Amino acid sequence: MTTLTTRRAIAALLFVAALVLPASGALAVCNQTAASTADTALWNTHGCWQAFFLWSYKAYDQRSSDWNNRGWNDACNVNLEFPKHWNAAYLVTYGLQDQNCCSWHGTADYRALGEAAGSDFHTSLYHTCSDDNCCFGSFDPHLIGPDEISTHCPLYNATATNGNPGSRAGDFMHEGWRGWLHKYNWNNGSYGGHRCGTPGNCTAKDACDYFYFHGVGAYAFGALYQTDGTANRFHSPNQVQVEFLCDVADYSNSWVPASVRQSAKSDADARAAARFINGPGYKCGDPRPW
Amino acid sequence: MSRGSRVALRSLLTVLFFTSFTFARSAEATEKKPQPPETTTPAGSRPSTIIKELAGRKPPELTGTGDAAKKSVSGFIDWAASSTRDQADIVREAVAGAGRNQDIMAAFCHEAFEAQPVDHSRALVVLSLIGEARSKHGEECLAKFMALPFPEKGTVVDGEILEQTALATLQAKAIDGLAYLKRDTADKIVFEAIAKHPSRIVRAEGIAAYLYNHEYSDRAKEALKPYVRKDELIFLDRVVKREGEQKESFNRRLEAYLKLHPELRPPAPEKAQPEPGKPPAF
Repeated sequence: MTTLTTRRAIAALLFVAALVLPASGALAVCNQTAASTADTALWNTHGCWQAFFLWSYKAYDQRSSDWNNRGWNDACNVNLEFPKHWNAAYLVTYGLQDQNCCSWHGTADYRALGEAAGSDFHTSLYHTCSDDNCCFGSFDPHLIGPDEISTHCPLYNATATNGNPGSRAGDFMHEGWRGWLHKYNWNNGSYGGHRCGTPGNCTAKDACDYFYFHGVGAYAFGALYQTDGTANRFHSPNQVQVEFLCDVADYSNSWVPASVRQSAKSDADARAAARFINGPGYKCGDPRPW
Repeated sequence: MSRGSRVALRSLLTVLFFTSFTFARSAEATEKKPQPPETTTPAGSRPSTIIKELAGRKPPELTGTGDAAKKSVSGFIDWAASSTRDQADIVREAVAGAGRNQDIMAAFCHEAFEAQPVDHSRALVVLSLIGEARSKHGEECLAKFMALPFPEKGTVVDGEILEQTALATLQAKAIDGLAYLKRDTADKIVFEAIAKHPSRIVRAEGIAAYLYNHEYSDRAKEALKPYVRKDELIFLDRVVKREGEQKESFNRRLEAYLKLHPELRPPAPEKAQPEPGKPPAF
C-alpha cells in the first residue's frame, strides 16, 4: 500500500506540474536595454496607445505564453519586444498614405499579410518572438492549428540595422508572403524558402529571390495576392518587403517620423541591391541626404 | 484492496495523468483566449491629438560654440529624427545655415561616430543632416566616416553579416552627402567607393547618388563608366522610383528599362509539388 500511495503522490505532483508549467517558457530574451531612435520617435506619436495594443494582440494572435517575459505585462515599456512589435503593427495600420498615383500597394494588402486572420493572402497564423539569431524572421507551417510567424532578436535590438519599426513591419510582410507561397503551393527555393548560394546578382548567401518587376498601379489596393501563375504577375518575399519599405519611405503619412522613413529607405535600398538574382530591384526615392 | 483493484486503480491514474498532461500542453499551445497584455502606465491622449502637438514643435536653434554647440546639436537631432514630412524644408534650411559653424559641424560629426555602434537609426539621421549641410566641415567628417574599416567577420543573419550591413548602410548615407557636395575632392571619394568598396550596397548607392546629382545625364554615366565594375554596369541604367513621380511616367521608364535589359526577366515561378490529378509538366 505504501508503494501505491507514493506512486499516487508522484502522479498527482506531475499532474499539477503539467497544469502549471507554461508550454513555452523562453528564458533568454533579446537586448531589452534600449529602443532605437526610430522606435522612440514613432512611439512618441501615440505615447503608448492602450486601445491599440488591446486590439493588435488579437489581430496578430499573440499569446501571453509566448510573450510573457518580453513585455506582455509591461506593454508601455518600449525597450521590450512586445511593445516594439505593436509599435510596428501601428505603423502598418495607420502609417501609409495609399496613393493611387504612386504607392506600390495599400494598407489593405499589408495588413492582411501581417495580421493573423486567414484570407486570400495566407491561412490563419500567430506571431511569436525568437532568440534564434539565424535570421530576421521565420515562417513555420503547422500541421494542426494556425501557422507561425516568428520575429527574431535582430529586429528588436537598437544597435542592429533592422531594429526599427519599418524593418520589423517589413519582416511581417516577408514572412506573411511565405505564408502566401505556402497557401498556394509555390516553390520559391529549397533553402528556407529562398534560393541557395549567391546566384546571379545576389550577394546574400542562401537568401536570394527573383524580382518580378511590375508597374505602379498594376495591382489594385487589396489585390496583391493575385497572380496569373507567370513571371508577369508574381512576387517573391524580398520583393514584397522592398515594396512595403519603399511605401513607408516615400508614401507614408506626414506624421511618420523622419527617422522611421530613413531607416525604411536604407533597408529597402540595401535589400534591392543585394538580394535579387536578377537585381537590382527598384531604388526608392531620390538619394538626396535629407 | 485486492491485487486486481490495485492494478485497475494504477492504470486509471496513469491514463488520467497522461490525458491531463496532454490537454494541459495543447491548451497552452493553442491558447484561444490569452490573458490580455497590460500596463500600469495611465492612458494618455489619442494619437490624433499628440500628432497635432508634435507637428507644431519648433526646431531648437543650431547656434553657439563649445558645450553650447554640442547641446544645441543634440537637441536638434532629437527634433529632426521625429520631424514630419511637412517639416523637411525647415530641417534643410536649418542645417544649411549651420554648415559654416565649425563647432556645430564638429558636434554633428561627434554625434555620428557616437551613434554608429549603438543606435543605427540615429546615426542615419545624423549623417543625413551632415550631408544636407553641404559644407567643407561636413565633407571632412563624411570622408572620415568612409574611412572606417569595413568588418570582415561578424554575426551571420539571413545571408548577411550584420556588422557589415550596418556599416555599409551608414556609409551609403555618407556617400549621398559626398555626392551632394558636387566637389572634386568629394567626388573622388564617391568614385573610389564605386570602384573598390567591398559592399555592393555602398557601390550601388554611389552610382545612384552621383547620377541624381548630375540629372541622370548621359555625360554623368560616361564619367562613371571607368569606375563601375563590369558586372555592375546595370546600375547605370537602373530605374529609380523618384519621389512624387506619377505612375505613367515611372511605368514608361520601367518598360524602357526592361526592353533594354531582357536578361532581367525572371523565369516562370514553379509549383512546390505537382497538383494532385495533374500530369507532370512536359
